[in-house]
Amino acid sequence: MTTSELALSARGVRMEYRDRSSQARLVAIEGMDLDIADGEFVSILGPSGCGKSTFLKIVNGLLKATAGEIKLRGTGKGREDAMVFQDAALFPWYSVIDNVAYGLVCAGVKNDEARRRAAPLVELVGLQGFETKYPYQLSGGMQQRANLARALAVDTPILLMDEPFASLDAQTREVMQAELLRIWNAARKTVVFVTHQIDEAVYLSDRVIVMSARPGRILADIKIDIPRPRPLEVKREPAFVAYEAQIWKLLSQHAVTAATQVA
Amino acid sequence: MQSADAVATYRVIRPRARRRRSALGRWYRRNERAALGLSGLVTFFVLWQVLSNLGLINDLFFSSPAGVFAAAVAEVQKSRFWNDVRYSLTEVTVGFIASLVLAVPLGLLIGWYRRLSFSFDPWLNFLNAIPRPALIPLVVLWVGLGIEMKIVIVFLGGFFSIILPTVEGVRTVDQQLLDVGHSFRASQRRLFTSIVIPATIPFIATGVRLALGRLLIGVVVAELYAQTEGIGVMIDRAADVLDSGRMLFGVLIFTLMGVLTTELAGRIEHRFQRWRPSANVDLEEGP
Amino acid sequence: MATVSIGSTPLRPAGPGPLRKLINSNERLFYGILGFVVVALIWEAAGDFGLYRRSLLSVPSLVFTAAVQDFGSGKILDDLWSSGIEFFLGFFAAAAVGIPLGLAIGMFRRVEYFVSYLLFGIYSTPKAAIAPLIILVAGIGLESKVILVFLLTFFSLIVSTVAGVKSAAERHRDIARSFGASRWLQFRSVILPSTFPFLLTGLRIATGRALVGVIVAEELAANAGIGHYIEENGAFLQTSRVMLGIVLLGLFGVLLGEGVRRIEKRYEVWRQEIH
Repeated sequence: MTTSELALSARGVRMEYRDRSSQARLVAIEGMDLDIADGEFVSILGPSGCGKSTFLKIVNGLLKATAGEIKLRGTGKGREDAMVFQDAALFPWYSVIDNVAYGLVCAGVKNDEARRRAAPLVELVGLQGFETKYPYQLSGGMQQRANLARALAVDTPILLMDEPFASLDAQTREVMQAELLRIWNAARKTVVFVTHQIDEAVYLSDRVIVMSARPGRILADIKIDIPRPRPLEVKREPAFVAYEAQIWKLLSQHAVTAATQVA
Repeated sequence: MQSADAVATYRVIRPRARRRRSALGRWYRRNERAALGLSGLVTFFVLWQVLSNLGLINDLFFSSPAGVFAAAVAEVQKSRFWNDVRYSLTEVTVGFIASLVLAVPLGLLIGWYRRLSFSFDPWLNFLNAIPRPALIPLVVLWVGLGIEMKIVIVFLGGFFSIILPTVEGVRTVDQQLLDVGHSFRASQRRLFTSIVIPATIPFIATGVRLALGRLLIGVVVAELYAQTEGIGVMIDRAADVLDSGRMLFGVLIFTLMGVLTTELAGRIEHRFQRWRPSANVDLEEGP
Repeated sequence: MATVSIGSTPLRPAGPGPLRKLINSNERLFYGILGFVVVALIWEAAGDFGLYRRSLLSVPSLVFTAAVQDFGSGKILDDLWSSGIEFFLGFFAAAAVGIPLGLAIGMFRRVEYFVSYLLFGIYSTPKAAIAPLIILVAGIGLESKVILVFLLTFFSLIVSTVAGVKSAAERHRDIARSFGASRWLQFRSVILPSTFPFLLTGLRIATGRALVGVIVAEELAANAGIGHYIEENGAFLQTSRVMLGIVLLGLFGVLLGEGVRRIEKRYEVWRQEIH
């Protein structure tokens, strides 16, 4: 893969922090090397607390890594990445349209223009008619759609998604996964998707990066060779199940070895 | 940016800059709040002293820290001072303990019987809304100007501050937990001791905090009003002869009491908040 | 073979009567009013039948008579007006200065640390202890009262505002930062709305403080105002009037508190849960 096709390139990313109560140095991410091409949908999969969300926050600029470098392909204008946050991240005091337009307002777009630009995205995520409603009037799934729309509105080449469906019930979650693929198809972004659910990662991605528990490092980089478009039924197919099994085995093996090692 | 592949520009995200930290630097980072807080305090006193020396603050009305200190040294050697301290402390302790002992059982009782709590709610809220100092003339009619009056004022302040959160605590016990008790056929008494009382303790702790905050003002005003004994009277007498050093020293004593009680109350409440599922931030009420 | 028999309850032939229905749907209100009335009646009866000396607590009927007299003559209206002015002047001055200051302090971590101990100390001091000094310096007139009310309200508001800013959900600030919001935009779009419910609660508490300030100042040195009214009538053993003054104060406090509470409820959705 030539460098010019890469959207994101990370080398030796390491994250250490000091635990507040015990004052011990803890390693969240041990050393990550990762290349993501333009337009790829990549999932980072791992158990809770393995540093995957931390990695996303480093890319987004909310945290600073202890070591290592990340290169993001520049657009020449504005930001390269936008984040879709985990559960209920809408501002309760803004209406849906104002929430979706928020990223644009931050970038300096005037309110009216921002709303105008946000409107088609509200429609894209299926929330047309709810522009003037407030978050407390929406269901969890609808709130997450608005969350997604907000990140899409700033039209960055890279989309970072931090377990966005974690707080949804099983059925809504599946619907949202299919919806996400539909929207991604229309928007064509590079997506870095963090999750701890194996089926979700396999269903959505071109590649699944499997991470170990803390200290987090990449255990495997699995290419998912299931053709698109992928309807939800694909989850029952043998190829899909095989991928799931492979990853599950990998994770549980690692958990066993980690547990039997002397700390 | 379709055809610009060959000259694609990249933004580089760099790691946190490593800085060598001296031991002092590291200590500072860990105790930043204390360090800055203390320096703020010191700055305040230094500024005060300087302004006083420069004559920008009238020494007569508002003594300098040095003046207060001198007055303090003089006062603590007098037995009358310690008498006043003992007087004020007695009011506070007796009044507070009395209010606690009465308010908690009553609160538990009232809260438990729903209809009873509805009936008492308006009265309790009404009485709680009355500023304590307004009750002073009434209490004077009852018990005169002696130490009893101050104790009653402290008691009344504490009583209503404690009983209201207690009632609320009992009323908001999680129905699910009570269901558990019922399903195991627990007796009324066991329900009470094993579920209701533990669930209410955080609320009682809040009430104690509120009470401690408010009773100090009751003490001060009661003493200023009655002019018999106590630190409040010391303040007043000092003000009369324009001995601002002594007066501010008296204020300082109350500050000390206030700080100690607020800190103590905060600690108690914090300790009992730990098992509360989701704590609503109840903003501080102080003197 | 033992059978557990769960007794059978026959269904009620007719539903609850209309009065019962009304009571059930407004239980709180009904029992609240009932409690209020019952206590008032007991109070009246106890006093009238000599269960205690009337000079101690008076009785509702006498308090009412006193009310009619004093409101009719207009004397008490002057006092109410006087106290009211002290209250509002002091309160709004404190809010105008205290809230912006509190917001500014809360926004900058280092500043907050710097003033934290100082604020805690002053806040824990019963401001009433300074009252003699203030009266000495500013006299018996309106100024000293307003100053005292200001002092009491000011520190209460600053502390509650700072606490409110600090509890503005970290998550929302992160989101604003993630989208690259400037500090000013962060303030407008996240901190201010987040803090608003806490500001309201702080204001509600501050009204109580301000009321105390009014009374304290008036009791210690004044010739007008409700505090003075209570004190003077106390000195003349006019218990009914003392009770009247107290009742009026309580009413004012309750109404003000309720009013702010209603506004608080309206913005409850904005309040972040603190876990």
